[in-house]
Amino acid sequence: MKTVISIGGVPSYILEFGDELVYFTPYTITLFLLALTFTVLAIISRPEKQVDIAFGGDAYRTKEISLSEMRFRRFMAIACGLASMGAMVTGDIFNFTLFTAMVGITNVGIVAAVKSPHVQDAAYQYGLVALSATVPLFAGAAVYAAATGSLSMIELMKNTVPAVPFLAKAMLVVGVVGEGMAPFYAAKAEMFRAPGAPYVIMCSLSSLLIFLRVVEVVLLG
Amino acid sequence: MWGQYSYGIFVVMIAAAIAFFALAKERDDLHKLLLIDLVEILSIGIIALLGTDLAEALILPGLTVGIAEQLALTQIYCTKEGIKTKSVKGLNIEVIVKADAPLILSIFLVVYGMILSGFTGGAVAGLGLIVLFISRSYQEDLNLLEMASGISWALWIFAFFVFMFLPEYWFVALMGAAIGILLKVTVKMSLVGTMWGENRD
Repeated sequence: MKTVISIGGVPSYILEFGDELVYFTPYTITLFLLALTFTVLAIISRPEKQVDIAFGGDAYRTKEISLSEMRFRRFMAIACGLASMGAMVTGDIFNFTLFTAMVGITNVGIVAAVKSPHVQDAAYQYGLVALSATVPLFAGAAVYAAATGSLSMIELMKNTVPAVPFLAKAMLVVGVVGEGMAPFYAAKAEMFRAPGAPYVIMCSLSSLLIFLRVVEVVLLG
Repeated sequence: MWGQYSYGIFVVMIAAAIAFFALAKERDDLHKLLLIDLVEILSIGIIALLGTDLAEALILPGLTVGIAEQLALTQIYCTKEGIKTKSVKGLNIEVIVKADAPLILSIFLVVYGMILSGFTGGAVAGLGLIVLFISRSYQEDLNLLEMASGISWALWIFAFFVFMFLPEYWFVALMGAAIGILLKVTVKMSLVGTMWGENRD
């Protein structure tokens, strides 16, 4: 008899819409509200201008950022927030991987509009990592389906399906890590040279939220 | 069954290892982008190994997300390398007999697509329209077609809501979804190679 450790707690609300399964536990609702708050902040806040200070003198200059660039980045930050919210509440393993992949794309998108060659190059390299991470991510979800015959986290929670192989869980975690968590997070460091505070913060926040959620997911079943 | 699946996974894993090895060795950014496409195929391969209806339903979103990432990266590559967008004025494929052959071909494909219906039918009918458009250097306002595509997509989504909330009317929903996706894919595909995003004055 295997013991199921669930850090999520007992689901208080389950919405089954065909295979679109959504459920709230105290854990996921907290993460969801955090994502929602930061998305609202990204919508209403005014972006800051980055200031460069010349070393050894009093000179400083602010970087000029065009309005269209900021508009695009705000759109991407909102998209990133929506994808994170989706990943927080979904009860379907495959939908979770899709939302994670979307967070990966939008993270690149948030900084891709910046006209700095360093940032562009870092975003490109990180994009390559994120894209290759979809292999273990989707493979993990596929092995979940192959081993248990279900992608529903509720079924995994009920302990009625066969145990999930360690390989599937490992691949899922590797995929999530590749989409923007440590140690690949280092690849993002150069991306943070991009000016515009609230939007860049969305990159790190979404990564953190996805990581917290995947911990809950792999502990099921 | 489980044995066959394990062998399949094993083969895909070897292929993935080879692809990742190539990716690690490659230094050119453009070649990396091309290799990533190969790697991406493998993730679809692993899902396809399930061999069920569920797998079929999972491949489409998987593929869409993959293509979206690929397009985003391509765009970044263009900006990063300073490749300017060239104005493209259609493909202008030379067709010897302009008058009849493309018309007959496209009518055949469109009719066949209507009979097939659904996603596949839309793809076939759309292909028929592409043949017509590229052989006739069409210069018309295609925004109306774009709008038709949007409306038929809404019909498709509406049909899904009927499935969810009023399952007893499933037949109406099925027909709505089939027609909606047929129109949507047909129109979208016919716009491939004809709308280049430039402003036609």
